Amino acid sequence: MYAIQTNQLTRSFGTLKAVDRLTLEVQRGTVFGFLGPNGSGKTTTIRLLLGLLDADEGQAQVLGFDIREQPDEVRARSGALLEHHGLYERLSAADNLDYYGRIWHMSKAERESRNRELLEPLGLYDRRNEPIGRWSRGMKQKLAVARTLMHHPELVFLDEPTAGLDPVASAALREDLEMLAEQEGVTIFLTTHNLAEAEKLCNQVGVINHGQLLALGSPADLRSRTSAPRLYVTGQGFSPQVIESLRGNALVSKVQAHNGQTVMDLTDMARSHEIVAQLVGAGVQIDEVRKEKADLEDVFLRLVEEENRGEE
Amino acid sequence: MIADILTVAWKELREMLMFGDSRGRSKLSMLVLLLIFGVVIPLQSGKDWVTSPVSAMVWAWMPYMWVYSVVADSFAGERERHTLEALLATRLSDRAILLGKLLAALAYGFTLTWAILLVSLAAVNIAVRGSGLLLFSPTMAIGALVFSILVSGLAASVGVLVSLRASSVRQAQQWMSFGMLILFLPFMFIQFIPKAWLESVGNAVIHANPLQIGIWAAAALLVLESVLLMIAMRLFQRSKLILD
Repeated sequence: MYAIQTNQLTRSFGTLKAVDRLTLEVQRGTVFGFLGPNGSGKTTTIRLLLGLLDADEGQAQVLGFDIREQPDEVRARSGALLEHHGLYERLSAADNLDYYGRIWHMSKAERESRNRELLEPLGLYDRRNEPIGRWSRGMKQKLAVARTLMHHPELVFLDEPTAGLDPVASAALREDLEMLAEQEGVTIFLTTHNLAEAEKLCNQVGVINHGQLLALGSPADLRSRTSAPRLYVTGQGFSPQVIESLRGNALVSKVQAHNGQTVMDLTDMARSHEIVAQLVGAGVQIDEVRKEKADLEDVFLRLVEEENRGEE
Repeated sequence: MIADILTVAWKELREMLMFGDSRGRSKLSMLVLLLIFGVVIPLQSGKDWVTSPVSAMVWAWMPYMWVYSVVADSFAGERERHTLEALLATRLSDRAILLGKLLAALAYGFTLTWAILLVSLAAVNIAVRGSGLLLFSPTMAIGALVFSILVSGLAASVGVLVSLRASSVRQAQQWMSFGMLILFLPFMFIQFIPKAWLESVGNAVIHANPLQIGIWAAAALLVLESVLLMIAMRLFQRSKLILD
């Protein structure tokens, strides 16, 4: 059963197509990463799925409800942390959670126990009565994540939850998200342009640019489907002639050299020894050879570059 | 629906009473107005405070002032502090959000007006001792009750409507001040009205039944509020608010 199903979903602002014929499916109970550069249509997609914006064309079902006909049903079963954390900074953490608990008709006892259940693992429970205006951005983001889970939603939308956080706070929030996703068993629709985050958290990812879905699958799938195996060679003697000869080799699809390291995308990893032999023959003094598959970031950059080239 | 309206009103009132307007000025202005209308003027007026039509005018006008100070914040403040989208993404219906904010502003204006009214009664009774218990006449008390609700409601409706459209709290407050100016503009032109006309109007008012005038005024306010509320409901569109 799918948590989200869209079919040719489209939304324009004037002449700009923010979301362009988006068709995707998100399985229940998974963490879905929606990757794309700034302005690629990620936030608009979330707004459409929550029924906050009307689609121009296409259909979408969220948790089995049509977003045009039953947006209230969708919102009643979802939690959302959008572009801004949306917390009331003059109120305390407990009041913020309490308000959202009341919105979902939770009893006082339920609200109190849920407050504790969510804030304790995040290390915020002892500070629950402080006005949150003076809290760090990382703490506020954690609280905002807790707020989205307050009412035990079936589906949670997180729009770039680690954006603007320092690396330590990002890592901490990522760990918390991982823990909460496992503990709560909810479907998470996460937008991000932090590829490491997507790689760590998501079972499935979709790459979007200019409103169009470029690829969809598990991070491993995408890597194998769209990226070449990669060879890292560190050493001395990478003259322009050597680099040029590598470019002429049919086994090498791309060469990048900087700071004594040459990175090559290969068409066949099993024949990497031929490249090493070619380099040794050309007089390169090799210190280290490392074989690796490209990471999600490479996949993402390649997809976006290809799409941009296609547009030109 | 009612539970949802009360939930929104609860949060609004909590913020209003704890922090006042977006600049936190409300607590100070609350104290100043309490001193002026609850203590100073009643002490100066003495017995007249409970009988004069002027004090009835004060009670009718005061809720507007209270509501005006906080209602601009209702939507424009949420938009400015980036909390509106999160609220719109909840299960709350459009009506619950709108009416909850309206109810909070109305309750705020009404409660503070009556709190000051009760303080003023205590002040007058302390000042004018030996004349028995001084109270407003039943007609005046009912008038004050009805008009404080209606004027609070009017200010809340105008304020919510303005706040829905304004891009910032400051802009909402400016629009509200402009509205107040328009309200008082006719009084500035009184001097240009021929004296004979003024006299005839004055005579008509003196000879009219005050109860009848009150009922007509209340009915007019009620109609005006209903119209404003309907406009606000039509203007309240999630997609428009998000894109604004």
